[in-house]
Amino acid sequence: SSPCSACVTSMYFRIARYKYYPYQRNTYVIGRQSIIIDFITRYTPNTRFTVPAREMGSILRSEEMMLLQLLLQSDSAYACVRELGEVGKVEFKDLNAEVSAFQRKFVNELRRCDEMERMLRFFVSELEKAGIPIAEPPLNCQAPDPHHLIDLETLFSNDEESLKQLNANQESLRKNLLDLKELKHILDKAQTFFQEGEEVLAEAFVQQQTTAGVVGGAGGGAPAMELRSTDVEAAAAETKFTFLIGVVPTENLLVFTRVLWRVCRGNVFVKHAQIEEPLEDPITGNPVVKSVFILFFQGEQLNARIKKLCDGFRATLYVCPESGPERRQVRDQVGVRIGEVESVLRNTTNVKDVALGKIAQSVEEWQQKVKKIKAIYHAMNMFNLDMGHQSLVAECWCPVRDFQAVQEALNRGTHLSGSPVSAIVNRISTPETPPTYYKVNKFTSGFQAIVESYGVASYRELNPTPYAIVTFPFLFGVMFGDIGHGLMMLILACVLIGFEKKLAKTKEGGEFLSIIFSGRYLLLLMGLFSVYTGIIYNTLYSRTTNVFGSAWRPYY
Amino acid sequence: MSLAEYGFNVDNGYLEGLLRGFRSGILNKTEYLNLVQCETIDDLKLQLQATDYGNFLQNEPSPIAVSVIDEKLRSRLVVEFRHFRNHAVEPLSTFLDYITYSYMIDNIILLITGTLRQRQIAELRNKCHPLGSFAEMESVNIASTPADLYNAVLVDTPLANYFKSCITQTDLDEVNIEIIRNSLYKAYIEDFYQFCQNIGGATADVMGTILAFEADRRAFIITINSFGTELTADDREKLYPSCGKLYPYGLHQLAKCEDYEQVRQVAETYPEYASIFAGAGNNPGEKTLEDRFFEREVQINMLSFMQQFHFGIFYSYIRLKEQESRNIVWIAECIAQRHRTKIDNYIPIF
Repeated sequence: SSPCSACVTSMYFRIARYKYYPYQRNTYVIGRQSIIIDFITRYTPNTRFTVPAREMGSILRSEEMMLLQLLLQSDSAYACVRELGEVGKVEFKDLNAEVSAFQRKFVNELRRCDEMERMLRFFVSELEKAGIPIAEPPLNCQAPDPHHLIDLETLFSNDEESLKQLNANQESLRKNLLDLKELKHILDKAQTFFQEGEEVLAEAFVQQQTTAGVVGGAGGGAPAMELRSTDVEAAAAETKFTFLIGVVPTENLLVFTRVLWRVCRGNVFVKHAQIEEPLEDPITGNPVVKSVFILFFQGEQLNARIKKLCDGFRATLYVCPESGPERRQVRDQVGVRIGEVESVLRNTTNVKDVALGKIAQSVEEWQQKVKKIKAIYHAMNMFNLDMGHQSLVAECWCPVRDFQAVQEALNRGTHLSGSPVSAIVNRISTPETPPTYYKVNKFTSGFQAIVESYGVASYRELNPTPYAIVTFPFLFGVMFGDIGHGLMMLILACVLIGFEKKLAKTKEGGEFLSIIFSGRYLLLLMGLFSVYTGIIYNTLYSRTTNVFGSAWRPYY
Repeated sequence: MSLAEYGFNVDNGYLEGLLRGFRSGILNKTEYLNLVQCETIDDLKLQLQATDYGNFLQNEPSPIAVSVIDEKLRSRLVVEFRHFRNHAVEPLSTFLDYITYSYMIDNIILLITGTLRQRQIAELRNKCHPLGSFAEMESVNIASTPADLYNAVLVDTPLANYFKSCITQTDLDEVNIEIIRNSLYKAYIEDFYQFCQNIGGATADVMGTILAFEADRRAFIITINSFGTELTADDREKLYPSCGKLYPYGLHQLAKCEDYEQVRQVAETYPEYASIFAGAGNNPGEKTLEDRFFEREVQINMLSFMQQFHFGIFYSYIRLKEQESRNIVWIAECIAQRHRTKIDNYIPIF
């Protein structure tokens, strides 16, 4: 009996209002609940509402709107709102305006939707990185039921976990590959380094010998002394030159060498060469240009300091054997290992691509579904909870013409959710001005948008759009006025309209081209009027043409 | 009549306009009230979405930690600053570089302290402030004496000039590090002050006020923190920056102070600082001295936006954004730890 009492009081309300606002016609009185159900099942709107022709909305005036109050049962509310959303003809009023956004009823569900959207964004970015095209969504993705929400969530989080795992594997493999490649380049360049290093050491050795006065008078012309590598190696062992070889990013190279020189107080010999091909950074995948460097120095202390310095500049040090044949052996081993790691990396990438391919099939559909779920919960946040938390009360504006569709949507919703009690629709009369709603088609929508950019007309006021459809292109034609250029505009517009079904689907072209596409009917009319005024102006491609001859007749 | 106002917009008009746009996005009182009413960090994220910050947290998996929020706020500021620095020409570019020097000093001291405590360079790298990063930064860990530090690492950086007073120290250990930090900062702030005076006009005016306050605040804090340590009065006096209102007589008296009461008496002879020290204390219901200094800093920085055609707004914007980050992190911490008694201790800006 509680709905009954609410209805009785609202009945009083309405009758009272009827007294004061006699122009509010088309109110119907609501009795007890059985009568309501009787009413809805028996009467079709057309017999109840006699809508005179002049009250039908058209492009000249906005549609007649009515304020509906919906009483939805809790278990069928979601399905009803979903069906109403698919019909797309109602605008809900926010009954909880004074409540802040995070104190409303369905905040948790909205948070879960945000989480799901974050995971979907992650999927899309992974797909873009791997270069896999995303499939087109099917035409009608219905939002799933609330208990399917959890299934979707677990599906997304599982996919995300496995993708993250694959990414981590790939990263470690890439790092491995990078190390091996760097080592390969080092071994390649080491030969030249050691030769030059030996020359410098040899010079230092010669200087030492001459200053120590060891060179005896073994014959004049000794400057071109033949030094065998064994001598140099012996010298190197004697004077204990240690060397460190490694790889550093080229952008740090200059600063690195300068700081190195300062730290060792000039007692270090540096040689560097850039690696020709840029190496791939394991984490970001961007190519990084690196250089190989080799340092010759003396002393253990310097060794420790230089190692710390290399840490700071992100230079990685490698172990490189000194003698040539050893180096060649290591080089071959490294080559084999690089081949192995590359094949493992390729396998991992394939596995990941397969997983991503599966996701790419449905990611667009999922995105649309999640968006619809969010919209449903946003709408449900605007409803009031009725006593006992059994039902939700919603208020919405609906065009009078589409009441039938709304009714059917609610019936479908109740039926699909399997609820025994159907939703109840009341019409409320209110002194509030209803919103302005125009039924536009693809031709008038462009002009309506232009007119609305100046301001939206109030309810049932005269709509300037029908007049603007003619005057706006005409004035454009007056200013443009050229047969040839007008024809070009006309042809462009006809092409756009001819292929509009195909062009509407493609998303590429950017924002600029989509603006032109959405104004194609405007372009058509502008082109037409331009040709017309061009004929009046006698202008073809900015050249005057004489078509009709002069209209001057001498009358003397 | 200064001609600066006529030519300012040629080079700096775009950046000033952009900066004032950012400044109008700084959170105001109603937005802070909304933040304070949040129950969980997710609510905080929702509220921040309605502000100028927008969706900066949207790709973080929940639950979000407060350190993540701090990092994201800081990276937002760094992106804005980098944009300004990339588009700036002289003298604004040097001015913005001066702003980064203070972060460089902090980074160097952080790295040296970390090295002393045997921490790894990789984790220290993450704690450095991104605005103060420079190429040779990570090689400070090889230095064991200040002379070493200077010769090896800092001589090529802009901080080289500030080191002249520090090279007399013998070794890098905990106490000396603080002395080095403060001497570097003193040299830096005096240099910055001189630079602004050389630019002249409204910049000299505005920045003079701001830097004078900063210098005096440093002097007070150094004095108060040095009670109970082995820092002598003479050493202390060498660390006071000389570009503030306290120079020279106030600084001299501060050097002779032995406890908090004497410091307060010195402050009372200067009307601006008397009001800061009055009512400051550690009892519940009173604000701490640091908080009152922050409040005064916020006031001074807000005033710099009242004038146009000067560079002080860039400095003030960074300071105000930092204060805002501190506020948001404070509120987030209070919410995360469910300790809401002191949640109103943020410092409102607008």
